[in-house]
Amino acid sequence: MMDLEDDTSVLTTLKSFNSFISHTEAPQRLSEGSAGSGNLHSQYKRSMELLEAGERVHSNNRYLQLDGEKKQMELSHKRARYELEKVASDSARDLEHEVDRNQDLLGRLKKFQERETEAAKNLSEQVEANRALRKNMEGLNRKLEERDTRLNTANQTISYLKDEIRELTQRIQNQDSTTSSQTLENQELQEQLDLQRRKYQEVSQLCQSLQAAQSSCSEHIVKIKELERRLALQEQDIAIVKTVKSAVAKVPDLEKDLKRLREDNAFLRESRENCSLLKEEVEGLRRKLERMEKKKEELVNIELEKERLAEKLKAWENLGQSTGLNIRKPEDLSREVIHIQQREIALKEQNYTLSSRVRSAERSQNEHRAELCLQRSKTLEEQKKRETQDSLVRRLQKRVLLLTKERDGMRAILESYDSELAPTEYTPQLNRRLREAEDILQKTQSHNVEMEAQLTKAQEETGTLKLQLQTVELELESLKKHQASAADSNTSGTKEELSILRQKIEDLESERQRLEEQNNILEMRLERHMLQGDYDPIKTRVLHFKMNPTTIAKQQRQQDIDALREEVTRLSELVRSQKEGGAMVQGDSSINASLSPSLPPSKEVVDLRKQMEILELRNQRLKEVFQSKIQEFRTVCYVLTGYQIDITTENQYRLTSVYVEHMDDSLLFKKGSNGSMQLMETVFSKTLGEMMALHLHHQKSIPAFLSAVTLDLFSRQTII
Amino acid sequence: MTSTLNGITLKGSAELVANFFSFGINSILYQRGIYPPETFSRITHYDMNLQLTTDPKLKNYLTKVVSQLKEWLFECTVQKFVLVITCLETNEVLERWQFDIDCDKSAKESSAPREKSIKIIQDEIRSVMRQITATVTFLPLLETPCAFDLLVYTDKDLLVPDKWEASGPQIIDQSEEVRLRSFATSIHKVNSMVAYKRTDSV
Repeated sequence: MMDLEDDTSVLTTLKSFNSFISHTEAPQRLSEGSAGSGNLHSQYKRSMELLEAGERVHSNNRYLQLDGEKKQMELSHKRARYELEKVASDSARDLEHEVDRNQDLLGRLKKFQERETEAAKNLSEQVEANRALRKNMEGLNRKLEERDTRLNTANQTISYLKDEIRELTQRIQNQDSTTSSQTLENQELQEQLDLQRRKYQEVSQLCQSLQAAQSSCSEHIVKIKELERRLALQEQDIAIVKTVKSAVAKVPDLEKDLKRLREDNAFLRESRENCSLLKEEVEGLRRKLERMEKKKEELVNIELEKERLAEKLKAWENLGQSTGLNIRKPEDLSREVIHIQQREIALKEQNYTLSSRVRSAERSQNEHRAELCLQRSKTLEEQKKRETQDSLVRRLQKRVLLLTKERDGMRAILESYDSELAPTEYTPQLNRRLREAEDILQKTQSHNVEMEAQLTKAQEETGTLKLQLQTVELELESLKKHQASAADSNTSGTKEELSILRQKIEDLESERQRLEEQNNILEMRLERHMLQGDYDPIKTRVLHFKMNPTTIAKQQRQQDIDALREEVTRLSELVRSQKEGGAMVQGDSSINASLSPSLPPSKEVVDLRKQMEILELRNQRLKEVFQSKIQEFRTVCYVLTGYQIDITTENQYRLTSVYVEHMDDSLLFKKGSNGSMQLMETVFSKTLGEMMALHLHHQKSIPAFLSAVTLDLFSRQTII
Repeated sequence: MTSTLNGITLKGSAELVANFFSFGINSILYQRGIYPPETFSRITHYDMNLQLTTDPKLKNYLTKVVSQLKEWLFECTVQKFVLVITCLETNEVLERWQFDIDCDKSAKESSAPREKSIKIIQDEIRSVMRQITATVTFLPLLETPCAFDLLVYTDKDLLVPDKWEASGPQIIDQSEEVRLRSFATSIHKVNSMVAYKRTDSV
């Protein structure tokens, strides 16, 4: 296919080459006939054309070659791709095989792992079972050992108990023997006791007789005391009687003294009244004295004034002589004064009229001066106008000259154009040029006119400015003249005024600067305040909505706070009531019931309260029971033993016998640190010295001592 | 909103300024955390995202205040508009957002609308709103619960409407002031600034 294409391309190129050659021959023929000298030229052209064709063919060939190569390359490319695709598909298939195998192997691995874990579990279970069995074995072994030990101990105890039994039987035998011996002793002692009782009875009878004697003695003693008392009373009475007698003896003297004193009293009262009268008189005289002294001073002052007035009068009288005006009386003086005042008034009137005339004259002068200025300014204006008119005339003349020159020039051009028109036919162009020239001319003319207008305006402005300048100069001159005239009138005053004015100006300048600085500072402050939100209460007012979020939030907050406070008080009351309710359980179920509605009663709290009440009741009952039992025991002890035992302080016991004569008589026992009781010394115990010696020191038996004391007291009582 | 014409009438200007205040207050309340952020919903206005409250009580209050303010802007009697943030525990003023309003009184109802492009005005408003958001960087944190209030500085001879009452200026003790951008319709000019309590003095 490529060769065919090559052929066709070669054929086409050949065809084109041939056609081109034939084409070039045609114009050659045309050109040959026209000029023989162009042969070489045509040959050169032909050779160039041939070269170009050759080049074209060459390039076509090259192009065809490149095309062929390209197609070969494409083919090879396709083959390579095809092979690569095959290889890729093969490798993909292999990959899939591999993947499948991989998955199989993974599955098998998992199964083996599971079997392993199961085996491990079984193993661990077996191990644990083993351990458990071993533990059981050990437990059983231990139990066996324990039983053995227990058996051993039991055997030991049995043997031990048997020994004890033997010992106890021995003791019993010993004790039997001792009891028998003791019964014998008992009988002996009882016989002794009977003897003692008989002695005791005799002694008691003696005691009774002694007591009777003692009582009679005591009665006698009482009688003696009474008699002594009566004696003392009588002695007192005797003393009183004596004093009364002595007093009575003094009575007449006292009566005399009394009379004398009464007389003195009356006398003193009279003298007192006289005294008061005299005091009043003294006061009155004192006041008179003061008034007299004041009057004396006034008199002295008045005399001084009188002298002064007399001098003044003399001076006034002399006035008339000094002025020489025929003045004898003050009326003349007043008349003279009136004359002088009238003269003054007249002079003042004259002064005012003269000053008004002066002012009017000055005003007229000023008016004249102003008129003069106006006239001068008018003349100047007229001059100016004239000058402007002259300048206008000159300009117009120049313009006329220019215009004539232009016209001449135009005429010359036209003549020249007319002279030139005949030979050639360039009339349209010339006409156009002419029109253009006319346009240009008109433009220049208008430009000229504008320029001239601007010039005139400028000149007018300068003229007006000059006028103004001159008027200002005139005013300045007039002012200077005015100043000079003012200076002529007051030469001395102006300099001072000038200096004063200059100083004023300086002061005002400094003050102005200060005020400016202050103003700046105040403005800055005001700006600052405006930024902060300040406002001028005269011009502005600040408004806000009544129900705005801030007030609402504040109200809400206040309500929250109040609610919280109420809750707090309520909770604190509850807590307090809880505490009180917990302390008083027995009778306060009502209070709890009243408070409980405020709190939801939890079951636990209720149960605990009930328990507490029960326990407290129990406590109370136990206390009562103990108290009653103790009381009973104490009374029984007192009745049976004959002693009331009180515990005074720690480890100290006070025993009071039933038959004691005085309630204060008691025995005091102290329990020592080793547990033994010791008798402390009391008043009562001092009387029992013999019994103490016998029973405590000799026999070392407190019960015997106590019973001896009881018997002794009882015997004493029964005797009486 | 005003029409797409380029001219601004007095009424249109009042409405623009009132809308700016409405959105501005919402933005400030959101930024400063006076109300929890979940009570705000996002809307698009002035070609930017703004936060608007959904709390009905607050909305009601704001609409009432802004409508009254619009009337006053139309009458050219309002001089300043202030948002005051107070701490509830100590009743101290912590922040003060002040908007100074200059009204050109020569613009009456009947005068011709003035030339100013709406787009330019919106750009200016947008820059002010962005600046308000940016102030969060330097304003001190409001840690205690706060409440806000809106104050209006009007001419003295104005009739006090129903439900409004006179109040103090609620100036901050020892404040730092920061001037923010301003914007102007051709009739009203609004200068913004924020004043806050200095934290080292607390």
